[in-house]
Amino acid sequence: MLPWNYGFHFATASYIFLGAFYTVLIVVATTLLNAFLRARRDLTKAKAEEIRWHSDFHELAAADRSCRHVLTGEFQSRECPHAFDCRKCETHAKLIASHPPVEGAGEADLFGMSFPLDRMYHRGHTWARPEADGTVTIGLDDLGTRLLGVPDSVELPQPGEEIHANGTAFRIHKREADVRVLSPVDGEVVETGGVDRGYFLRVKPIDGNMDMRHLLRGAEVKPWLLGELERLQLALSMEGASMPSLADGGTPVADIAAAYPRTDWDAVCGEMFLEP
Amino acid sequence: MVRLTGKLADGQFITRGVSRCSTERFLLWLAPWVALLVFGVYCAGLCLVKGLNQTNMDNRFVFGLWIFVDLTIIALGAGAFFTGFLLYILKFKELSAVINSAVIIGLVCYSGAMAALMVDVGQPLRCWFTFWYPNVHSMLTEVTFCISCYLAVLAIEYLPVVLKNRRLKEIPSFLVFEFELHKLIYVLAGVGTFLSFFHQGSLGGLFGVLRGRPFAFREGLMVWPSTFFLFILSAAAVGPSFLILTTWLVEKITHKRLVKDQVFQLLARISGILLCVYVLAKAVDTLVWLNRTSPGLGFEAAQYYDWKPFGTWILFAEIVLFGLLPALILITPGLRARRGWLIPATALACCGVALNRFVQTVQTQALPTLSFDRFLSYSPSWQEVGTFAGVLAYGVLVYSFSFRYSQVFPEERELKAARVMRLEIPEEELVEAGR
Amino acid sequence: MIAQGKTNVAARYGMSIDVDRCNGCGACMVACAAENNVPPAANGATERTGLTWIRVYRVDNGGEGNERRSAFVPMLCQHCGKDAPCVAVCPQQAVDVDPATGIVGQMPERCLGCRYCMAACPYHARSFNWSDPAWPAGMEKTLNPDVAPRMRGVVEKCNLCQGRLHTAKAKAAMAGRVEIDPADYVPACVEACPTRAIHFGNLNDAASEVAQESHRKGSFRMLEALHTDPKIYYQSKKDWVRETASAPRPGKENARG
Repeated sequence: MLPWNYGFHFATASYIFLGAFYTVLIVVATTLLNAFLRARRDLTKAKAEEIRWHSDFHELAAADRSCRHVLTGEFQSRECPHAFDCRKCETHAKLIASHPPVEGAGEADLFGMSFPLDRMYHRGHTWARPEADGTVTIGLDDLGTRLLGVPDSVELPQPGEEIHANGTAFRIHKREADVRVLSPVDGEVVETGGVDRGYFLRVKPIDGNMDMRHLLRGAEVKPWLLGELERLQLALSMEGASMPSLADGGTPVADIAAAYPRTDWDAVCGEMFLEP
Repeated sequence: MVRLTGKLADGQFITRGVSRCSTERFLLWLAPWVALLVFGVYCAGLCLVKGLNQTNMDNRFVFGLWIFVDLTIIALGAGAFFTGFLLYILKFKELSAVINSAVIIGLVCYSGAMAALMVDVGQPLRCWFTFWYPNVHSMLTEVTFCISCYLAVLAIEYLPVVLKNRRLKEIPSFLVFEFELHKLIYVLAGVGTFLSFFHQGSLGGLFGVLRGRPFAFREGLMVWPSTFFLFILSAAAVGPSFLILTTWLVEKITHKRLVKDQVFQLLARISGILLCVYVLAKAVDTLVWLNRTSPGLGFEAAQYYDWKPFGTWILFAEIVLFGLLPALILITPGLRARRGWLIPATALACCGVALNRFVQTVQTQALPTLSFDRFLSYSPSWQEVGTFAGVLAYGVLVYSFSFRYSQVFPEERELKAARVMRLEIPEEELVEAGR
Repeated sequence: MIAQGKTNVAARYGMSIDVDRCNGCGACMVACAAENNVPPAANGATERTGLTWIRVYRVDNGGEGNERRSAFVPMLCQHCGKDAPCVAVCPQQAVDVDPATGIVGQMPERCLGCRYCMAACPYHARSFNWSDPAWPAGMEKTLNPDVAPRMRGVVEKCNLCQGRLHTAKAKAAMAGRVEIDPADYVPACVEACPTRAIHFGNLNDAASEVAQESHRKGSFRMLEALHTDPKIYYQSKKDWVRETASAPRPGKENARG
């Protein structure tokens, strides 16, 4: 039936059948090749971290993907369409334009934890603090610190490496937990710190300006943190821990991990650091 | 990146936040299936090395257990294409909860069927002949082309499930490839639907075109006999039912809730509606065949049912007991909402499709065509049963590994959360919380 | 495809089998096996797994005692018309009807062994090589050098002794003729029949014995209602024998075999 075979003759049925078959083969092969090429392009453009966050974000529970303006009560419910990158968000820009956030408002002491007002917070439990020399320091917020206690080890990027908002800033190991911590901002690492120094990374802006519109600040922090404590409680209960309710004013202890020696800490940290 | 330390090695590959049994228990679960697989490979090896004289098939019963099983599992595996079609083409978003499971079941069914077919043919090394010397008028050519293409599509669709493994996705190239492939998956779903449509149909046509076998022969549309369309319809109807059945089985075995009830209900509703259409079409087809097609070829249809054990009860079982009954249960919201009704109904529907395939393959060959011939019987040899058992074990193993190391049911963690919340919060608040 | 003829007028080779003459001796089966290198039954082969290109069925009228009558019906490939049920189903064109001779050919070298053609054949004229072909020691010397033995895992069936057709053609070519001499091409079963129950010839040749017999009263073909257009004609003077050619009848008396 193929032209090179003995007894070959063409008939309409052959045209239809072989045409359909080869079209299918071409479509499948093209799709696969297309995916390969796009993947290679992404890798050469160093978009792996961005993609990792996008794929993680879409695996988060629907409630965990809600817009920051839901936290503050401006929306009943709204799913963040930009994977927590408000710099791209027109809705956010409009809302900010109509109600400019009051800098310095809010409290530094929330539920017995310290959330100083001199910095901005990322939903992955990191903070970014602009320093006088134009650099930005990045560290774990108080809840993050309490979750990881004294880490068993930390994998920090080398000075000179670039990190991006919502990409991996560094990795932390604590007991069975192995989590990546999301970077709050874009920047080039100039110095690495550690638990003892109060910050983990010091970065400088990549193109001279540091956009931090997407970070939580001031009065926004409290409602967010309340939700986070609820999430923590749920995560702990899911992993089999029975505990007094945190949400009614119980203060998380300094080393939460130590308080739950038999809980799957990796699952709890994965939940809290937005790594499903 | 991948740190393997002592006892954690296996656990490190398990999706974060879901509970899986210990490595020891998992190995214990695998052991009997691996044993069965080894036995199956031995049986298949016997057939390949010593020839098909190891089977109980003969010149008169040329298709046996394997063809029957192949046709059945390919029909049951239709959940893969149909769910993909509903999710990616018709945008039934809820079905993303079962798509991975459907793809794995599809892959297992199709690759298992292909493996069995390779043992079943007399000259497996000549399988490429069908691509080189295709006879486009043969239904079997259509089946071969479509099944092999669709198996490739399923393998590609299965890739993201594997690459989503917690440790594998740490490797940037895997992560990025998975992401880009997933964006194009609707193309594959479309191609898969096209291919499945044709090979489910041509599997039906396989027997429907046999003019020399009036028990199987059906009239039809252009080159396709009515069984072409009935097979598509029955496979699409039963695919979702089989998906419900397997998911329920996995839930029972693992003591977990894996899929939200509304997904079960949606699948059951789709299955029920299609089953209703199928039963109607099958009834009309049977009447036309009994009264027109078969007598037209000189065969009084009544004589088919003279040969015991295949009395008219088989018609009743196929259309009413395993067709109409589950169809009615599945379209009745009050009944399908209860597991006690839902699960038996899906099981009945699956039995129905198996019985239909049995009638098409085995009964067709058992009935004589020559007036001086006899009714024939056949029972599979242990080598045939062993090979089939090997295919079954292979399926269970692939599913077990996928379930343990990949995120087969994306809603699993959410449902785990819901279960915890149900202990703490009253039901109505839970609904509002949206988790 | 086999023996593609160079004749100007296409032939339609066929047979006319007189059931009333057949005494069921089985000489045709033996002659066929010897001519076509059909191996003897393998160890453990049954009636249903052995190879034969022609099988003599015993048929009776279903009567009891003195009423009982028997006949023998040799069944071979019926060489159906160009829409033979087995041709369209083969996925790789290993089966075809030669337009020059009307012979339904089976190419064992291209056969996958899927056995779909066997399921399609209403006459059960096809056999599958369930085992490796083997001949008792010494018997391989009796093999016919003009016919290739088949390997395990392929289907085979009657091809109206294509080896003999080739020989006849070669002979005609040597003599500078285009047409073969009908006397040179006679299948083995026809030759071997002691009662001369089987006649063979070109159905397109109105003068041939088979063509005339095919139109004679009492001539019939198997399962004609299936519209397979066989080229094997049977004939009998007895009504009950002619009835065996139709489909099984409903009811108890359908056990004729």
